This record gives sequence, structure tokens and C-alpha cells, in this order.
Amino acid sequence: MNTTLLSILALLIFPGGLFLLGYGLAYEYVDRKLVARFQNRVGPRWFQPLADVVKLLAKEEIVPHGVQRGLFIFLPVAALAAALTAALYVPMAGQVPSYSFNGDLIVTIYLLSLLTICMGLAGANTIDRFSVVGATRVLTQLFSYEAPFLLALLSPAIMAKSWQISEINIYTHNNLWFVLTQPIGFLVALVGLMGKLELPPFDAPEAETEIVSGALTEYSGRGLALFRLGKDVELVIGLTLVAAFYLGGIANPLEFVLKTLALLVVVAGLQSLFARLRIDQTVGLWWRLGAILGLAQILFVIFWRLVLR
Amino acid sequence: METRKSSEKFVVPIGPQHPALKEPGHFEFTVDGEIVTGASVRLGYVHRGIEKGAEDRTWTQNIYLLERICGICSHVHATAYVLGVEKLAGVSAPPRAQAIRTVTAELERIHSHLLWLGVAAHEGGFDTLFMYSWRDRETVMDLLELISGNRVHYSTNVLGGVKYDLDTEKMDAIRRGLDFLEERTHHYMKVVTTDETFLARTRGVGLMTREQAEALGAVGPTARASSVRRDIRIDAPYAAYPDFPVKLITDDGGDLLARFVVRLKELFESYRVIRAILDQMPEGELTTRVPRRIPAGEVISRVEAPRGELFYYIKSNGGEKPERIKVRTPSLCNWGTVVSVAVGHKLADMPMLLAGIDPCFSCNDRMVRINRGQGAQFWSWENLRQYGIEYYR
Amino acid sequence: MTIGVMLRDVLKSLFKRPVTELYPFERKTVPLELRAELTWDPTKCSGCQLCIKDCPAGAIELVVLDKVNKRFVMRYHRDRCVYCAQCVQSCRFNCLNMTNEQWEHAALSKEPFVVHYGRDEDVQFLLEKAAKEGVEECPDQPTDPN
Repeated sequence: MNTTLLSILALLIFPGGLFLLGYGLAYEYVDRKLVARFQNRVGPRWFQPLADVVKLLAKEEIVPHGVQRGLFIFLPVAALAAALTAALYVPMAGQVPSYSFNGDLIVTIYLLSLLTICMGLAGANTIDRFSVVGATRVLTQLFSYEAPFLLALLSPAIMAKSWQISEINIYTHNNLWFVLTQPIGFLVALVGLMGKLELPPFDAPEAETEIVSGALTEYSGRGLALFRLGKDVELVIGLTLVAAFYLGGIANPLEFVLKTLALLVVVAGLQSLFARLRIDQTVGLWWRLGAILGLAQILFVIFWRLVLR
Repeated sequence: METRKSSEKFVVPIGPQHPALKEPGHFEFTVDGEIVTGASVRLGYVHRGIEKGAEDRTWTQNIYLLERICGICSHVHATAYVLGVEKLAGVSAPPRAQAIRTVTAELERIHSHLLWLGVAAHEGGFDTLFMYSWRDRETVMDLLELISGNRVHYSTNVLGGVKYDLDTEKMDAIRRGLDFLEERTHHYMKVVTTDETFLARTRGVGLMTREQAEALGAVGPTARASSVRRDIRIDAPYAAYPDFPVKLITDDGGDLLARFVVRLKELFESYRVIRAILDQMPEGELTTRVPRRIPAGEVISRVEAPRGELFYYIKSNGGEKPERIKVRTPSLCNWGTVVSVAVGHKLADMPMLLAGIDPCFSCNDRMVRINRGQGAQFWSWENLRQYGIEYYR
Repeated sequence: MTIGVMLRDVLKSLFKRPVTELYPFERKTVPLELRAELTWDPTKCSGCQLCIKDCPAGAIELVVLDKVNKRFVMRYHRDRCVYCAQCVQSCRFNCLNMTNEQWEHAALSKEPFVVHYGRDEDVQFLLEKAAKEGVEECPDQPTDPN
């Protein structure tokens, strides 16, 4: 009984559910504000992301012609659910993950990809041309950054000799920060995260000047709100993962806030520095540069473990 | 869900309403995956009947009507018209008025080119450059407001002269503004020509050879970026340009990068010309008298708008109102270049390619004769009226 | 290979105030040359109506009460005006002018945009006449000068 109650609390309040949604919206605000300040603008007020979501939730949801209705409604829910579930395995706010088992790193990465896949499916589900082009781009981009991103997260795992996020977290906490010893992996992981979240310059899948809103063009109201919340949640989880793996682990809430915020500043800076990459350039960049760097990194780590130790 | 046959063409429509377009126009790109295999353009969404309206207004009233053809290059429209009417009337505005017209025109070119830089950067997803170039554009907007009292429709021209004078205080303000802008333009030149992510979007994109540009009748910076030596300010100087010549800026790149470079270099040329005019501002009157009835005759007036050659044909029958005014705007000449170079490019390049000619849709929506297959179809005013009555019945 | 050329701008801006003007709270000073509201001096007007002929927007009407004694009332439609100042240019007696005072151009109805200029008693006379007739003269039709 008690464990059930705790599980429900973990799912609904912390670290899943309410906490994560609120935190995700807060980070969306920080991100938008930072980008605005980088561009010498004022930026939104603190409640703007929340206001956007409330407005979208209150709006009529239009189901366009030619879509499979069930899938159209189900996909945003699945996307958000996957993102929220992923939160259970990461050391959110420096706490011990609610659920933890050996190999949960792979599960988390899988759950994080689910959001992107849902978006791709949502785009392919409609017959809108912009959505279809957007869906193609979403999935193309997924296949390009996913491998380097995974490789970048694996090298700390290999160093820690564990596939369990909580154990890697403890290992990194007790060792020199990996950002110093494995800067390439850190860079690939961070930029991979930006690709995952479709932040500029990797926003080709939703490039508004080309394909309006990409895969989500036909979404309005609730569906759009859920997708946006899912992205916000994924932003928090992604930053937590990178901070836990490369910035010396997350031991307490203060560390959590400071380290993820520091990463967010870097991410916002990278967002405002570059022109959007075309989708072929994105793929080229990831496979020619990202994957090779990630691979070199992991080979080096394996070599280090096998030979030098 | 409908199934789509693979042989069927996949057409991506851009417009009439689309985030990439600031004004309505319709483009259809046939794509194969991401590669564009065909392009077509359809205009006419913002036809406002200005040419017809001009026939119903007096010579004076028309200045303000024609100024409103375009919000960005409003002053050159009025200048082209006013110069034409003055030629018909056989008068010429005093040198000081011509100089002030030229200063305003060049300030307008600066604001237009900076605006374009921002828009083009935005189409390429480089929002930071967009924000910064528009922030700095406010400087020149403030200057225009300072000298004319208005940010958009300066209403500088009257028949036979200009409305306002430039005193030393304003000239100093302009010089200070230009100093700041020149420094910033150097910076943007560096960004545009060295930033690798941006170069990846502009270098080699939309390549147009000189022969193509000549054949398609491109004008303005679009043509000059393909090393076509065409600039009305040099070929047929008007207003104060005979006394203050500008240097022709060309680039032989022919791609989007060259269009960026040409426009930014033109900014430096504008700064130089404005400074030269301010330093040697001719003294004298601001206006001369122009009769209310313009003698019968017809005239062609050409000026170099920020986007290229602007062409006015004005016909008078000796009355208080013009018999006919025909406007051909530079955007119209440049559409052909977009459609013909689009094929083979990525879909992602299309917005930048469209923005590359600095299009102005409301400028170019007036009657065009399209030769499609056998001959063209013409509708007279009476036909149109009848059609309208039938349509709304 | 240079990337991130705008890094310096971006970093500088982080520690600078945004340039955005918070419009309703902060207002810029009005430019001296601003062409704002039209004003009319009834004492100088000769009733030549050149301004009305030249106005591209049909924003001015002149109501002639008594041509011989030069009793005119000018009805000015601020909502139609395009603020080009052509009328100021056209007037040979300098009785038209444009102020450079800033004012908000928004209202819930069209009435506040119609302004009558003239001697007080003339305006009074015109308004009373309009009220007596019950209906406002159709504002779309230029008033017959006779």
C-alpha cells in the first residue's frame, strides 16, 4: 500500500508530473528569455510559457480531414507520457531516481526518442504537405543525431562500468568532471540534445519560413500544448542527463539547478549564434563529424579501460 | 487517409499566406524529396488599381497616391513621378531640392537594404543577425523621422521641389548616424562573408550567370550580383546624381552571397554619397512653381529604387489630371530569375532565394500582359465592369 | 573556418539593457518635423479651396457660411488625413499648419476624429443648424460651397 502510494506520488508530483511540467515551463521561459537577451530584446515575461499552454489547452482542437482520428489524439499523449516516464530514471533534482535498474540508461534514451518519433508520426498522419515534409525531416534528423548522442552518453557509462544512470551519477560525482577529460563527448552530447529538441540551428524540421510548423502544422489546442509540454520536459531531462554524466554528477538540488542552468545558458548561446542548417547539412554534420567524433571518443575510452588500467 | 500515387507530383505551395512571405504571393514548388523540380509563381493578390486611381486624381494628389505603392521604397516612387511631371511641365527643381531628394532616397536605400539583410537572415534561420540588423536600422529610421517627421511615408516631394530643408543641426545628426551605421555595416559584412554556417546557406545557392541575368531582364542588386553593369543612377543620372556620382557596385559571384555583398557594398556607397552631398549642399530655393495644368505630352521617368530600376510612363492631355500613368516596379523584372534558378535547389533554399531578390509584392501587382501559348487575353474596363456585375449577381 | 562571428554582439547584449522600447510606459520624444494635427486660422483664409483640391485623402471640407464676409468653417477629418502636409504647402496665405504634438490615434468611434475649426460663433451656428435638422450632414459628401 505504502509503496503504491509512493509510486503514485512519484508519477504525479515528483519527479514526474507536476514538478517536471512546472520546471519544464520555467526552463522554457529561461531559454526564451536568454535568447531574447542575446539578441538584445526584452523577451517574454515569466508566466508566458504557462499562459501559452493554458491558452492552447482552452482552445478548440481541430481534427483535420484525412487523418486517423485516434492516432491524431493519441500521439501527443504518448509523447508527453514517454517524456514524463523518462524522468523516473534520472536523478531529478539530485534525488535518487524513483525507479532504477541496470540498463535504465538505454530505456531512458529510448523514451526520449519516443517524443520525436511521435512527432514524426503525427506529421505523417496528416495529409498536409508541410506536415509530411516536416515529418520526413523529423525522422531524418532523428536518424542522424541519435547515434552520436547515444555514443556520447555511452562513454561515461563505460567509464563507470554500469548501465544504470544512478550509478553513473555517483561515479561521475566521485571523479574528475568528464567535461574536462572527455570534452568531445560533452560537446556531442550537448549539441545532440539540441538536435533532439529541434532548437536552432537544428530546427530544419520546423523551419517556419519553409514548412510553417513542420510536422505539427495541423495541430492546435490540446495536442499542440501536450507536444510543447513534452518538449519542455525533455529539455529538463536532457540537461539533467548531460549534467549528471559530464558535469560531475548531481548530488543535491542546488547542484541540479546550477548545473542544468549553466548548460541552458550555453544551449541558448549556441541557439543564437548560427544560421539554420539545411536538413542535408544536418545529416552531413552528424554523420561526417558527430558520429566520427563520438566513435573516436568511445574507442579511446574503451582503449583506456582495457589497456591503461 | 488518402493514398498518394508515387507518380503524382508533390507540390509544396508557398503562399498566399505563409510565414516566409510578408506579403501575399503564390509559389508552387514541385518537389522530389527535398529537391525542387519545378517552380511557378502567381501574382496579383494585392492588386489595388492604383494606376486607374491615378487617372482620377490631380497631378498633386497623385504624388501621395503613388508614394503609397510601396511602403519601403515610398520616396523613390514619388521621386520618379515628380521628376517625370517636372519634365513634362518643362521645369526643373532647384539644385538644393534635388540634393535633398537624393539624400532622402539614399537614406531610404540604407533602410531598405538593412531591412532586407534582416529578412534574408531570418529566412535562413539566422534570427540573431535579423534582430541586430533591424536594431541598427532603427538609426536610419530615426534619421528619416528627424528630417521628414515620418518613418515611412516621408512626403518629401512636391511638384517642383521638396517640403523641408536640412539645417546644419540635422546634417550633423545624419553624419553621426551614418558613422555608427558604417561601423555596423563593416561588422555585418564580416558576418555575412565569414560565418561558416551562414555561408553554407548562401554560397553557390541560386547561381545565376551574367547571360541568364541579361536574358531574364534582371535589374538592381540582383542583376549587379551577376556582374551586369546596370544602375540607373549611373546610366541615366537624375536628381543630384549628375553632380554627386555614385560608383557602380558589381560582383561576379551570381549567388546569394554575391547579392548580400553587393547590397552591403552599396550601403557604403550610400554613406559616402550622403556625406558628399551634405558637405557640398547647394544653396538656394526649395521649390519652383509648377503649373496646375501640365502641358500635353508623354514622358518616361526612370530611377534606381533600392530593388532596381523603377520605370514610370506618364501621359498628359493638358488637363489637371494625368491621362495615363504606367508603373513598372523592379520586383516584377526579377521574378523570372527566381523561377528559373529554383530548379535543382533544396526546398530549404527557396525562402532565401525568394528573399534574395528583395521582393515587394504590392509593388508589382498591376496589370501585366502574360503571353501564354497563343496570344494574350485582354479585358477592357467595360469587360471588367461587366464581369464584376455578373460575379456579384 | 570561422563560426559564431556574432559571439561578441551576443555576449555584450547579455550585460546590456535591451533596446526594446516599452512603448506605452516609455515614450520617445516627438521629432520636431512631425506632421501631426492640422490647424486652421480662420482670419487669414480667403476661401480659395486650393487645399481641398490638393488634399489626396479628402480630409478637409470648407463650409461657407457667408462668402462676402469670409465666414468659413473648416471641417477636418483626422481619420482620413494622411498627414502629407500638401495643404500646408498649397495654402498661399499660411493659414494652415501642422502641429508636432503627439497624440494617440485610437478611438472607439469615428466622432472624435471630426474637428471643426473657425470662429466660435460660426462653429456654434453650424452645429446648432445640424442639430436642428436632426440628422448630421452626410460626412461623405463634400459640402456644397454655395
